[in-house]
Amino acid sequence: MEITLTVNGRAQALELDPRTTLLDALRDHLQLTGTKKGCDHGQCGACTILLNGRRINACLTLAAMHEADEIATIEGLAPPDDPGALQAAFLHHDGFQCGYCTPGQIVSATGMLEEARAGWPSHVSPNLEAEVALDRSEVAERMSGNLCRCAAYTGIVEAILETAEQERDVEPREAAE
Amino acid sequence: MTVAKPLPHDAAMRHVTGEARYVDDIPVPAGTLHLAFGLSQIASGRWTEMDLDAVRAAPGVVAVITAADLPGHNDVSPAPTFHEELLSSHEIHYAGQPLFLVVADSHLAARKAARLAQVTAEETEPVLTIEQALARDWRFEEGPRVYGRGDPEAAIAGAAHLVDGSIEIGGQEHFYLEGQAALALPQEGGDMVVHSSSQHPTEIQHKVAEALAVPMNAVRVEVRRMGGGFGGKESQGNALACACAVAARLTGRPCKMRYDRDDDFVITGKRHDFRIDYRAGVDDEGRILGLIFEQFCRCGWSQDLSLPVADRAMLHADNAYWLPAVRIVSHRLRTNTQSATAFRGFGGPQGMLGIERVMDHVAHALGRDPLEVRRTNFYAARAEAAQGGQPPVGPFRAASPRSISAKMRGEEGAAADPSLDLTSRGAAQAVAPQPAPRSEVPGSTTPYGQVVEDFILPDMVARLVESSDYRARRAAIAEWNAAEPICKRGIALTPVKFGISFTLTHLNQAGALVHVYTDGSIHMNHGGTEMGQGLFQKVAQVAADRFGVEVERVKITATDTGKVPNTSATAASSGSDLNGMAVKAACDEIRDRLATFVAERQQADPATVRFEGGRVHVGAQSYPFEDVARDAWMARISLSATGFYRTPKVEWDRIRGQGRPFYYFAYGVAVTEAAIDTLTGENRLLRADILHDCGTSLNPALDLGQIEGGYIQGTGWLTMEELVWDTRGRLRTHAPSTYKIPACSDAPPVFNVALWDGRNREETIYRSKAVGEPPLMLGISALMALSDAVAACGGPGAPYPALDAPATPERVLAAVERVRSA
Amino acid sequence: MKLPAFDYACPETLDEATALLAEAGGDAKVIAGGQSLLPFMAFRLAAPSLLVDLRKIAGLDGIEVADGEIRLGAMVRWRDILDSAALARALPLLPAAIGHVAHYQIRNRGTLGGSLAHADPASEFPCIAVLCGASVDVVGAGGHRTIPADELIAGPMETTLEDDEIIVAVRFPRWPEGRRWAFDEFALRHGDLAIAAVAAAYDMDGPHIAHARVAVMGATDTPQRVPPAEDALNGRAPDDDTFGAAAAAASAAIEPTEDLHAGAAYRRALVGTLLRRALAESCAREREAAE
Repeated sequence: MEITLTVNGRAQALELDPRTTLLDALRDHLQLTGTKKGCDHGQCGACTILLNGRRINACLTLAAMHEADEIATIEGLAPPDDPGALQAAFLHHDGFQCGYCTPGQIVSATGMLEEARAGWPSHVSPNLEAEVALDRSEVAERMSGNLCRCAAYTGIVEAILETAEQERDVEPREAAE
Repeated sequence: MTVAKPLPHDAAMRHVTGEARYVDDIPVPAGTLHLAFGLSQIASGRWTEMDLDAVRAAPGVVAVITAADLPGHNDVSPAPTFHEELLSSHEIHYAGQPLFLVVADSHLAARKAARLAQVTAEETEPVLTIEQALARDWRFEEGPRVYGRGDPEAAIAGAAHLVDGSIEIGGQEHFYLEGQAALALPQEGGDMVVHSSSQHPTEIQHKVAEALAVPMNAVRVEVRRMGGGFGGKESQGNALACACAVAARLTGRPCKMRYDRDDDFVITGKRHDFRIDYRAGVDDEGRILGLIFEQFCRCGWSQDLSLPVADRAMLHADNAYWLPAVRIVSHRLRTNTQSATAFRGFGGPQGMLGIERVMDHVAHALGRDPLEVRRTNFYAARAEAAQGGQPPVGPFRAASPRSISAKMRGEEGAAADPSLDLTSRGAAQAVAPQPAPRSEVPGSTTPYGQVVEDFILPDMVARLVESSDYRARRAAIAEWNAAEPICKRGIALTPVKFGISFTLTHLNQAGALVHVYTDGSIHMNHGGTEMGQGLFQKVAQVAADRFGVEVERVKITATDTGKVPNTSATAASSGSDLNGMAVKAACDEIRDRLATFVAERQQADPATVRFEGGRVHVGAQSYPFEDVARDAWMARISLSATGFYRTPKVEWDRIRGQGRPFYYFAYGVAVTEAAIDTLTGENRLLRADILHDCGTSLNPALDLGQIEGGYIQGTGWLTMEELVWDTRGRLRTHAPSTYKIPACSDAPPVFNVALWDGRNREETIYRSKAVGEPPLMLGISALMALSDAVAACGGPGAPYPALDAPATPERVLAAVERVRSA
Repeated sequence: MKLPAFDYACPETLDEATALLAEAGGDAKVIAGGQSLLPFMAFRLAAPSLLVDLRKIAGLDGIEVADGEIRLGAMVRWRDILDSAALARALPLLPAAIGHVAHYQIRNRGTLGGSLAHADPASEFPCIAVLCGASVDVVGAGGHRTIPADELIAGPMETTLEDDEIIVAVRFPRWPEGRRWAFDEFALRHGDLAIAAVAAAYDMDGPHIAHARVAVMGATDTPQRVPPAEDALNGRAPDDDTFGAAAAAASAAIEPTEDLHAGAAYRRALVGTLLRRALAESCAREREAAE
């Protein structure tokens, strides 16, 4: 079937078998191999992408279902030579070893920070109505859908916390201006 | 100086932007074919007929290959004395064994077609358990291997107390996030280039050459990186690479194979599961007088690496403890299951868990503090250990946030021993020669006859007991447990002493190839592979340091059998030790040529030439490194060299169980606090404190990552990762939905990791120590902490919890009930 | 992911969708979020010849909290339930249970209609629907009907839906003021499939419990009410003894499943422990709210 996917702001027409998962469409048809195939069963998070800003597993959805959607992958987060704050934080905090889960971790964390900003409580949030304050246990819980077999979790959590703190520091100032 | 710096991984920027390529990400030529195996559904028997017509007729299928079609050897075994078929010629040894190979124009078509085969087989009763294998005496080698010394029976008979029991230890799936993958590209003249996700490119080259019936020089294997290996890519990639090469030969087209996750689970080997029976005679203080271990090791269907794995389990049956009279009996049992294979620690963790269990059990039986029982049994600390090495000046703490950039600014931990000027020529040799072979000091010789020369664990334990506040927390936990009926806590400290070297002595060698170009840039290659452990960066730091340039000037290139031949697997934690030294040798060769050239030009002594800060210093003059490189080339001096290293001192007789299998030992200590819910068995790690010995760390950031990751992987093995086979030998846990590895929320919320600030007493690369495997065994403290929490449920005289691994909630609950019902 | 061959359709109306389903005669499957169906298809546990995507059909994604009832469209996603402040006030049990559904990536896609139609015994939403006596509105080629949630679930991964029927909404009766609720779940890791979970709701009639409902999931082959546990609660004071008796009754009454994750005895024990804890928590919540 013919389908147009909008990935990283670019609309591209593809001829796909309807069975093609979004993950296979990205990797095999659009050569966006930054999104990794870890388990292909929606359990490891290595294929996390943003669908209209929300993080989802690309292996658990069909490309055919996303004609009208905005899809963002790791390649679309920032230009390769100028990483974003979260990517830089992963560098500084050694948030990986083998690197295979890393794109999924970073995209997932991007979506997670957005969810926290929107006030979505987690299982460990003490109060469902209060503003979300990200701490170590909140981040760990919210990132539990992204496995890292090297267990670089300490660095991953620190990188995300640092990014969240930077945002907190920046936002009030922007609001004041 | 670029060594001892906490630099990030070599491809760090490419990882965070998604640019880093793994085998499955390499753009393939048009016309590339994709492969899938047809797998046996039964665990034991022989197939009599395979009707593959429907497979051949399926859409997209280009070829179907059976054992009869193979052009060369039908053998992918890493063990020269064992035959392991790529495709079954009739015998079926396990459920998941490849029977035939489908070659199709897409991965999907190959997978779909593989299911269409009609296989007729005569099924026989599979041998699945340790008990069944023992009953059938189905094993590798002629009988059990036995190491030991003294008369343990007599010692046990004469001891005040007998402590005996048994522990079952489950296996572990590697679950490298990147599954097994290979890509074969046919070349002119029948040559083959193979990209493989492998820890052992030379092995891939060797097996592919045999499979194609060509000499090894017709095959070139390249490995840029792996998405995790953990031992699972030491031999288990052979089948994919051979399949691709054979299919590429038969079709003349590039061929790629990637196991889907469930196939990866079902086809490939895992960590060996064990049962260890023990009988210990101890005195009133818990001192072991005599000890007999019987290790039952389930090897699966093929020999693979099981003999050295089982050997290493025996060699770690002592861990950190002096065993005056001991016997270790090792049964290498054969079963109709996936062939167990290498997994981080390589048998060491299982052997070590055996003795840690004994320590815990002895302490419980005698009502003594487990830490004191451990200390009582420690090897003797030798006075010269401290003298020969650096006096410990205190660990540096991993501050939080654990920022690399902070450390790069030298704020913490980056400083190595200032007396060790690593940039001066020959500094690494300027260390006092080792004294002649040492005489036996009581209590410091392992059961296999190697003297423990630098036993630093007593000092490390003392430091960690203090920094982790072990005693006060233990008292607080006792109070908590007395007051709290439902949630019980436990705490445990366990040490690690892990032997570093391949026990197969001849593998302890490595090669390197270094080029300096006329613009001063450096191209470095060695036999080690990168799987996330940071080897490439560490070795690049060595190269940069030898030439006194920034590490950015060193190009790290893919491991390539055409550049450095005849390498050993990147395994046994040896990557940096071996390849770092080989690269150093190559760099020093070029550096010596440059020094001689510059010195002659300046009429100076070559020994006074220094390479520092991107410049070459001679007398009062200094020149940019690139100018010296260019001038040397103009003077027709070779700027390319190979380097070679072989580990000194090691010699080992694995049949007698005597010798020096290890160049040195790496040490570590962990304290884990855990809590259990005594009504559900749910358990959590609350806090971990670790002090680990990396010698003089080549890169503290990477080493910290190895320690944290190893610990968590170890706790996963012992607390949650459970493999389940059904009674027909089919693996039921073959997907991440059924096999649980630690997630972000499973790491202990308080996690303090520090490096012991010592240096290797042996002349390793910049006096560092290997760090790949040892930290995994720090996870043993988690199982012991859970055991401590379970024990807290029992009253006086309650039985020992005897918690098996993995300590899943169901097992913890059963142990609680056992302890409470008494 | 290796999926069997199928065609894909994306109709814009329910009529078109049901007509497509009717035409396929049982060979088609409805796809909403796909979070259960796609893995199922990959494991060859389902092999439809046609997938009918509901994403373009209007009116399936609303959350309406009205006076008489709460109406949730079939395409409401877990994320929407967790985001809804109105739902958190009107039916707090639901978001509490949905907080145990899988991981965040999946909560952003999975829908309640999909969960009901999939009828996984370890899924939270069907259990809450059964406990609360929810009604499921379905539309087929021949018209629409309403099915009580407990009659919709026929067995593990089995419903009483006809081949051409599509779930369009689930309606929950509004709760009376002061209704107490309880939920607890045990999984190997948070977000994994439940090994056992319990849900309960009850009113207070003076000092005594009334209208008690107790349901179990994960431990049994379908989500189900446990009448003996309800009997043990009704007419009694909400104290430890009562809750213990209800827990014991629930443990004794169920027929636990056994699989590679847990044995039957373990599940039986878990159900008792979880129910007793959850009920105690329901009182503690009241006390906190009162303070």
